Amino acid sequence: MVRLLERRVLHVRRGAKSAPLFIFWMILPVILIVSIFTFYPTINGIILSFENYSVFNFANIHFVGLKNFKKILVDPLFWTALWNTLWWIVLSVAFQFVLGFGLALLMREPFKGRGIYAGFVFYPWALSGFAIGILWSWLLNGQFGFINDILVKLRIVSQSINFLSDPSWAFFSVILVNVWYGIPFFAIMLLAALQSIPEELYESAQIDGAGTFSRFFHVTVPYVSSTIFATLLLRVIWVMNFPDVIYGMTRGGPGGTTNILATYMINIVYYKNDYSLASAVGVFIITILMVYSIFYLQFTSKHGSGEF
Amino acid sequence: MRKSRKYKILRAIMLSIYLIAAIIPIYWIILTSFKVPSELYAYPIIYFPKVLTLSNYSYLFSFAHFSIYFKNSLLLSAISSIISTLLSIFSGYALARYSFKLKGFVIGLLFFSQMIPAYLLMVPQYSMFSNLGLINSLTALGILYVNIAAAFSTIMARGFFVRIPRSLEEAAMIDGCSRIGALFRITVPLAMPGIAAIFSFSFINDWNELFTAALFLNSDDRYTIPVALYSFISKAGIQWGVLSAGLVVALIPTIIIFAFMQKFIISGLTQGALKE
Repeated sequence: MVRLLERRVLHVRRGAKSAPLFIFWMILPVILIVSIFTFYPTINGIILSFENYSVFNFANIHFVGLKNFKKILVDPLFWTALWNTLWWIVLSVAFQFVLGFGLALLMREPFKGRGIYAGFVFYPWALSGFAIGILWSWLLNGQFGFINDILVKLRIVSQSINFLSDPSWAFFSVILVNVWYGIPFFAIMLLAALQSIPEELYESAQIDGAGTFSRFFHVTVPYVSSTIFATLLLRVIWVMNFPDVIYGMTRGGPGGTTNILATYMINIVYYKNDYSLASAVGVFIITILMVYSIFYLQFTSKHGSGEF
Repeated sequence: MRKSRKYKILRAIMLSIYLIAAIIPIYWIILTSFKVPSELYAYPIIYFPKVLTLSNYSYLFSFAHFSIYFKNSLLLSAISSIISTLLSIFSGYALARYSFKLKGFVIGLLFFSQMIPAYLLMVPQYSMFSNLGLINSLTALGILYVNIAAAFSTIMARGFFVRIPRSLEEAAMIDGCSRIGALFRITVPLAMPGIAAIFSFSFINDWNELFTAALFLNSDDRYTIPVALYSFISKAGIQWGVLSAGLVVALIPTIIIFAFMQKFIISGLTQGALKE
């Protein structure tokens, strides 16, 4: 009996180290799926960008060299979209972060009903960006919109603003909504980080005579800095690839003024049906992502922000 | 830390501002969905309607076939997210427990696949599936949704399994449990909060996905809810009452999941994995 048990223990121990077939079958489905439906299409997309594949041209698909890329580079809409992408990222992420961090700081110490409160302020995280976009375009409606009504009633403006059809307001409006949508993400991440700060650090800072601001900049910020950097850097990629809100509000209009690269590309797919041209934009986006990721990886490996 | 009364009042005010900003949009859309057209398109705006109506909802479910879209979305999201969660349990477990030659490469590959956003893949995926004659198919879409979630869920699952001591499984296996048995009887129950988070993430993402679905689905009876909403706003002259009702229906499942899974989702989010 003991012998048998011993043998089993040995078998289990050895098995844990080498079970090649078992490992293979466990991992295979995911690797297969990701290879077939992510990596293969990625390579295919790059090939497509050098061809002339469009809805009008299914029969005679051939190599056209850099034609698609040239077409994009002379399109003024592309350059608008490129600049907009930059502003979209910088402004969205900056305000999402500042307001989210503010919320996390406010929620850090327990109060009655904090759990329920969290549910009510964090829920936008789970909603569809597209639905949020539609929802807000009703709130920002030029005629019957809630926001305009409030602004007029408070005498902040004398006349309703056509937030989504006026080119000078449209881009501001989509960023505003994106900020609203992204606050919970930063609040959730930073709240967790804040709650892991040991209380003793504050006590000793207080004994040293540190004031509120000094404690914030010398204890709080350094302690959560790795979370801050990791979330900020990842959020940049995520926001860059987040056409949903814009698509629910303006679809890049009016006149391309709210296009980012992502919506610019999707519009080419949906309305021009020129799949090769769209793929060329896609290749452009992937290149930006790659360059950014290299910087990102170098940064995180230097600062060691763990699993983020 | 002791805080003064003044601080507490100030904090309460700030917290209230956040709360109001967070709930007013949703409140407004719910209110809109119950308004009659005469009060919906009235100026000055009516904040406290005299009449509330269900006509927008009944229109949605009778004329606009929303029950079909709802069923499509629910089946598609539920099945895809169950499959991707199951697959990620297997792969995440193997990557957490065993060391093998290509392990670093596999993990790197999974991380790298996360860098490529779904909408960039929709054109090549479309050409791939149209060659197979699988356009306008919910099954094809389901496969793509499993693909979107698989890598991310695996990375998350691995993170949860690493935290569970292997000695418990070893004990079960010494008692005669098979490897798979030990996984599902010992490890999975212990990792349940994490698995719930993985499932919630996938479900919410699948439920909300628009761009691939809008490209792939082209007949009315196959639409998912986001595609249906998209077709609503594509039509000239948006009926805001009906659209609002549609939005409310679209938001309900994710809000319910978030309400019940909030604790798991938040711990899942913050334990080293982010929403894609």
